[in-house]
Amino acid sequence: MKVTCSHRDRIFEDGTPAEWAALEAHAVSCPLCAEEIRAWQSLSVAAKQLRDDSDGPSFWPRIERALTEEAARNAKRAGRRSWFSFFPSLSPVWPTVLAGAFVLVLAIFGGWVIVHPQAPRRPGKDDKSLLESSALKEVERAETAYERAIDGLAAETKPQLENPATPLLANYQEKLLVLDSAIADLRAQAGMNPSNAQLRYQLLAMYQEKQHTLEDVLEAKQQ
Amino acid sequence: MGTMGLALPWKARISSTSRERGTRVEPSEHLAGGPDQATMDARSADAALAAACRSGDLGAYERLYLTHGARMKNLASNILGNPSDAEDAVQETFLKVQRSIASFRGQSSFVTWIYRILINTCYDARRSRLRKKEIANDDSLETPRLEPRAPGAHPTLRMALERALEKLTRHQRDVFLLYEVEGFRHAEIAGMLEMTETASKNTLFQAKKNLRQML
Repeated sequence: MKVTCSHRDRIFEDGTPAEWAALEAHAVSCPLCAEEIRAWQSLSVAAKQLRDDSDGPSFWPRIERALTEEAARNAKRAGRRSWFSFFPSLSPVWPTVLAGAFVLVLAIFGGWVIVHPQAPRRPGKDDKSLLESSALKEVERAETAYERAIDGLAAETKPQLENPATPLLANYQEKLLVLDSAIADLRAQAGMNPSNAQLRYQLLAMYQEKQHTLEDVLEAKQQ
Repeated sequence: MGTMGLALPWKARISSTSRERGTRVEPSEHLAGGPDQATMDARSADAALAAACRSGDLGAYERLYLTHGARMKNLASNILGNPSDAEDAVQETFLKVQRSIASFRGQSSFVTWIYRILINTCYDARRSRLRKKEIANDDSLETPRLEPRAPGAHPTLRMALERALEKLTRHQRDVFLLYEVEGFRHAEIAGMLEMTETASKNTLFQAKKNLRQML
């Protein structure tokens, strides 16, 4: 095999054992290649300086403890889930009893309201927890625009989140599902009570969290 | 090409012609034919370890630790710059493996999958460290702290190399650490870093070229 100086970089990158042998044979009569080979190999030797296979004696027990605690937490969670699954096995009499009790409580509460009528409380001008109609429209406009922008961001991360390649992405996907569910709940509540500023703040906080999470996903993609 | 031979502080420590020591060629990557018996054994051991971990066998996690713990900690230490953060990252990796083992489909090898988690965990830790600005007064990212490591390791050489590594791109640094320091094959690195084998080889070449210029 005939090797010249021009082959050197390719052999450094992806040379076969035979090509390396040929390059070394060529280096015997080529001082430049001999120096390049020596320098190239010295990097590999130097890299071994970064290797340390020694192990602290207390490290495995620490991991073992963390794994055991995590397993115990999981078992507890699973236990709680199985406790909830106890409900469907209850006898059909129980739902009837519960419904009867609920009707009774409603009847008592209704009777109390009839006996003690109260004038409806009007919100004062200083009550900042309610939004006025013009402010409400502005909030809703801004909210729609913000939501649209976040949807755009979500569209960019969709391919990664549909098939999460790493556990980190799977975690982000789960977090986003939880956030979407919370946003849907808050939106439903805000729909029933559109003037409630507190609900709007909570909704905004959820959108911001979603935005940050989507940004993290994009950052993970770029890495 | 630069004049690294003159600039290297470890010049005197390195033999001038030891190819076996200096350059690792991977014959299996150049030969045609199926996997050999050793590869088959390794694969079945890998699958058995994954199955045991999936079943919640703590002993399997200990076997995993005994086989890979030191190497995982070393890799994390080289990425994060100090052994304490490295231990946290390795512990977090074990917990992540335990949490998501059910979702491991066996598309890559179990060990490859674990190292992928470890590398991502290390970079999450680095990002989180940056966010908290804990390193504002600490130059650990630019110049990783020098803490006692391998006995006999040459401190000047290690420091020079660590500083140079920090100036590489993330992929170049990862490939260099995985191949040259930890001794993984390009096929394994490709699985860990989700790139092709050719890309892994090329990235290593670029990394070494850049290191040569820096050193």
